[in-house]
Amino acid sequence: MNDLNIIEIKNLVKSYDNDKIIALNGINLEIKEGDFVSINGPSGSGKSTLLNMIGALDRADEGQITVAGVNLMKNQDFSEFRLNKIGFVFQLHNLIPNLTVHENVQTPMIELGIPDDEMEKRAIDLLRSVNLDNRLEQLPTKLSGGERQRVAIARALVNHPRIILSDEPTGALDSRMGDIILNLLREIHRKENVTLILVTHEEYVAQSADRIINMMDGKIIN
Amino acid sequence: MKFRSLIFKNIFRNKSRSALTVFGIAIGVAAVIGLGLLTEGLPSSAQNALTAGAADFSVIAKTTNIEGAPSGPGGMGEQQLISQDYVKEIQKISGVNSAVGVLRTMTNLDNSSASNSSTTNSSSQSPTGDFRSMTSLIGIDKNSLSMDDIVITNGTVFSGENEVIIGKRAAERSGKTIGNNITISNQTFQIVGIFETGNFQDDSGIVMSLDKLQNLTGDSGKISLILVKAENGTDTSKLANTIQNKYPNELTTSTSLSGMERMNEGLNVINTAVWGISLLAILIGGIIAVITMMKAVSERTREIGVLRAIGWSKKRIIKMIIGESILLSLIAIVIGIIIGISVVEILSSTHMLPGLQPSFSVLLFLKGIVVALLLGIIGGIYPAYRASKLEPTEALRYE
Ligand SMILES: Nc1ncnc2c1ncn2[C@@H]1O[C@H](COP(=O)(O)OP(=O)(O)OP(=O)(O)O)[C@@H](O)[C@H]1O
Ligand SMILES: [Mg+2]
Repeated sequence: MNDLNIIEIKNLVKSYDNDKIIALNGINLEIKEGDFVSINGPSGSGKSTLLNMIGALDRADEGQITVAGVNLMKNQDFSEFRLNKIGFVFQLHNLIPNLTVHENVQTPMIELGIPDDEMEKRAIDLLRSVNLDNRLEQLPTKLSGGERQRVAIARALVNHPRIILSDEPTGALDSRMGDIILNLLREIHRKENVTLILVTHEEYVAQSADRIINMMDGKIIN
Repeated sequence: MKFRSLIFKNIFRNKSRSALTVFGIAIGVAAVIGLGLLTEGLPSSAQNALTAGAADFSVIAKTTNIEGAPSGPGGMGEQQLISQDYVKEIQKISGVNSAVGVLRTMTNLDNSSASNSSTTNSSSQSPTGDFRSMTSLIGIDKNSLSMDDIVITNGTVFSGENEVIIGKRAAERSGKTIGNNITISNQTFQIVGIFETGNFQDDSGIVMSLDKLQNLTGDSGKISLILVKAENGTDTSKLANTIQNKYPNELTTSTSLSGMERMNEGLNVINTAVWGISLLAILIGGIIAVITMMKAVSERTREIGVLRAIGWSKKRIIKMIIGESILLSLIAIVIGIIIGISVVEILSSTHMLPGLQPSFSVLLFLKGIVVALLLGIIGGIYPAYRASKLEPTEALRYE
């Protein structure tokens, strides 16, 4: 409807286990490009499911969903969409354990087809921006939770995404580390004018968003 | 980081699992290489014997119960000898390229040497005969050896009065070689050459000139059979019939397989068995490869989901998994070849397979390489397909 909307969702329905569990029960949502949106709600209310729909990690049963101009209801593989438009930062355990910090950041570049000699340089630049350029050769298992999340953020930025989707990025961290990660995401959002959608349980995290979406039983309630 | 380096890193993730995949594929390679070395080693000796001059059929006496058989000297078995004159007659028949007379007999070398030293002792030996010590004696013209599939592998052909050549197996069993003497019916002969026929029995025998053997056995002017080689383009069975019709009461023909052909029949059986064993080994290797690669995929469900989430295509995931299994199969090629060769070397050094000469051929190694790559690809295809089907959400939920 509006060219400024990077996300447009209409009557989106998603159920699991042969319609026994209705995870999303008619979602209507528009998000403007460049917004920082926080999705809140109790456990099981459908926050992660909605985020996965926006990131084309999963397919809805009914309704419409268009993200960055791409109709995600089409029956196809959306890996190229994810590669080019989305940056994911998951809760934890999302790094490849046998690859070093800078190699982890390079994994999307393999698929992006970035020239070999440029890969490492770009990875190091990104890791510098999250203050991890001193841990380049470290394996993820040797890093703290906060450091791992910063590697994941650097990796999410490799493709200059239009949307960063983050599902409870601070969930497993202590509050001090959580703040650092949150500030980092906010800073990236501001600097790069990237749309940031954050799922969180925590009230104080939501406060800093442009917009708060509250969910309950698979519906948006505000 | 190159995609290749990632594949390389991945195979060192779980070393024992990778080792198992390599082992599975190496079994297939080792079987193909090892068994191939053995079987290709067998016909190489037979190939030596494959000569252009081999006879097509033989002419022997027609045995009849009515007429009193003009038998050979005692102890020479029931074979009926024929006159050497037939050789010249048959040579004249049109379609015959060459005809050569051969006298064949058996002797007990142990007895003949024993009788030299003590006569009393020989009576204590079993008269039913020690079959292993029965040795074939073949008398044939020295220029017609090829007609009887006889190929000299070492030394020269007999030429002097008391010279003989002995079969490869005879040499192995007796421990005698070129230059040694051998006593046959109280006469001493010098060994001047070693021959091979591809026929087990003949290879245990002794060959000398026809005259000499006739002399030795007292069968002058007599032969056991005539080897006949037809002219090119002549129907050998028709020719054989012509000869039989010409001497209906005296001669008959035998198209029994030549030593070479008999050997080839045996080899066919061996080759089929080897094929079966190789196939089984390849199958087992393939199953191990698939199972271990499946394990590799399931161990990494979560990270494959992560790679899919950050934008890796299904194709890229498939390439990664198959790349890993091909890389493992390259390692398996080296290990499989080493295992295959070692086993054959051990087998041939323990003399469990006498006369075996492992034959190394480029083709065989190519076969091994092809088997390994096929196993690598096949072992990787299904697991790779499964990996590509992993839904990112399913994989990421995996905690
Ligand atoms: N793959 C699935 N199979 C079956 N049920 C599922 C699946 N994924 C989600 N659900 C169900 O859908 C509902 C919504 O789940 P979702 O993960 O979106 O909740 P959430 O709001 O993210 O919760 P939390 O705050 O605990 O992460 C829940 O009842 C959940 O059990
Ligand atoms: Mg959730």
